[in-house]
Amino acid sequence: MIELVLQAIFSGILVGSVYALVALGLAIAFGTMRIINLAHGELVLLAAYTAYFVETNTGLNPYAAIPLALVLVGGLSAVLFLMINRIREHRELNSLILTFAVGIIITNAILLAFASDVRTTTSPLLQDAVSIGPLFAMNGEVVAFAVSLLLMGGLWWWLKGSWYGQAVRAVSSNRDAARLMGINPVRTEYVAFIAAGVLASVAGVALYTMSVVQPSIGHAFTVKAFIVTVLAGVGSIPGVFLGAILLGVTEALTVTLASSALQELAGMALFLLVLFFLPTGLFGARARRG
Amino acid sequence: MLEIRHLRSGYGRVTVLWDVSLTFREGTLTTIVGPNGAGKTTLLKTLAGLIPYEGDIRLGGEPLRGKAWDLAERGIILVPEGRMVFRDMSVEENLSLGAYPRRCRAAFASNLERVYSLFPRLKERHGQLAGSLSGGEAQMLAIGRGLMSMPRILLIDEPSLGLAPVIVKEVFDIIRRLKEEAITIVLVEQNTHIAVGVADDVHLMRSGRVLLSEPAANVDLDRLHDLYLAREAQSA
Repeated sequence: MIELVLQAIFSGILVGSVYALVALGLAIAFGTMRIINLAHGELVLLAAYTAYFVETNTGLNPYAAIPLALVLVGGLSAVLFLMINRIREHRELNSLILTFAVGIIITNAILLAFASDVRTTTSPLLQDAVSIGPLFAMNGEVVAFAVSLLLMGGLWWWLKGSWYGQAVRAVSSNRDAARLMGINPVRTEYVAFIAAGVLASVAGVALYTMSVVQPSIGHAFTVKAFIVTVLAGVGSIPGVFLGAILLGVTEALTVTLASSALQELAGMALFLLVLFFLPTGLFGARARRG
Repeated sequence: MLEIRHLRSGYGRVTVLWDVSLTFREGTLTTIVGPNGAGKTTLLKTLAGLIPYEGDIRLGGEPLRGKAWDLAERGIILVPEGRMVFRDMSVEENLSLGAYPRRCRAAFASNLERVYSLFPRLKERHGQLAGSLSGGEAQMLAIGRGLMSMPRILLIDEPSLGLAPVIVKEVFDIIRRLKEEAITIVLVEQNTHIAVGVADDVHLMRSGRVLLSEPAANVDLDRLHDLYLAREAQSA
């Protein structure tokens, strides 16, 4: 029994790292624009199917699809931004409708192109088991974990150390003050959306290699990203990482101890509990507005 | 030299500034005083590119138009009312954002050194979140951040707002030092006494117009206060 629990925790941590990438993409776009991109999960899904497409058509490792995914998903993210940016009135509400609709279109385009079957990588290399002490994982899971950590490190560096990254943080923190620093807020939002697209691209490819995808699960990624953001409170990358791992572990434990049918429900229950008892998030104890 | 001719601006259909003409001489400190609602802050916001305007603004003969971020590139730097520091970023990150305009990036390190020598308190607190600073420290950070942008003209809006008198004195000591370094400064201030004390030129605004323009040396504070407070009588 204890081995099963440990194994579930281990698997939860591995998949949680990819949830963190998805959540960070949602958060970075939200931070600058104060807009929730309901199509974010579908962007991740598109990247996953790009990996599927490249793998089945070329026989290459799915990770070889990342450049194509970057172009497709990053480009789509940019287009999405340009559409949102045209909204003049009630931007918060109208952008929800717009991005929700774009999500539906992406899902159905994928359904049309690839049918509703469940897909996962066929690469024997990625599917091979690897044992770490008493725990087991697929190579794909370990690689996805490493890739996620690497990308999060990159994002951390970008936000802290580059001028564009600092502009993204400045606009998120105080839009009016950012303008006075010589920062063009709209251009910065554009950059943030593309960065979110980059995160979604890699997350999608990673999810394809470690788990199964089908056209209907796009919105589930958005919901997961949302739950993680609530768990973490708005802000820090380590907070999002821990929140994502908590969600991954909760889901994995639910599958192990109860049933996989309850997986999504467990995430939602966690979400409600945190909202109820810790409304500022697990790590966002400070309320800092004003 | 910054010249304003027949400036008219406001918010949407509400006109705040009516036909304002002013000249700010290079390397001097100009103080603008006036009661609430006189349009002082609107004037600074207009100069900084936050509000569209009609009329003519020229910096060294060149027309000055554009968005706030373009004007920041050209050296028009506003230290806004209420400081507007990036509360969830550290003191040093705030200063580093001051150096965001491209022309300021190369000199970042030496400017940072200079700001830290002007404000040793900021150096002590360089890793602290700006949101945790006291009002006086936040004001120093806002001014320091403005200096990081290597201003050709530094616009400072109500630096004494909400500060204890002893802190106000400290802030104005710094402003006096900046003046000695020949930075062109436009200062908007409610605290007439101290603001006229540091100024070269003084303008009094009321109801969106300039009522009085004098060299600071000639300003008679009693007369200034009479004009300042005459609002009720005028509008009646």
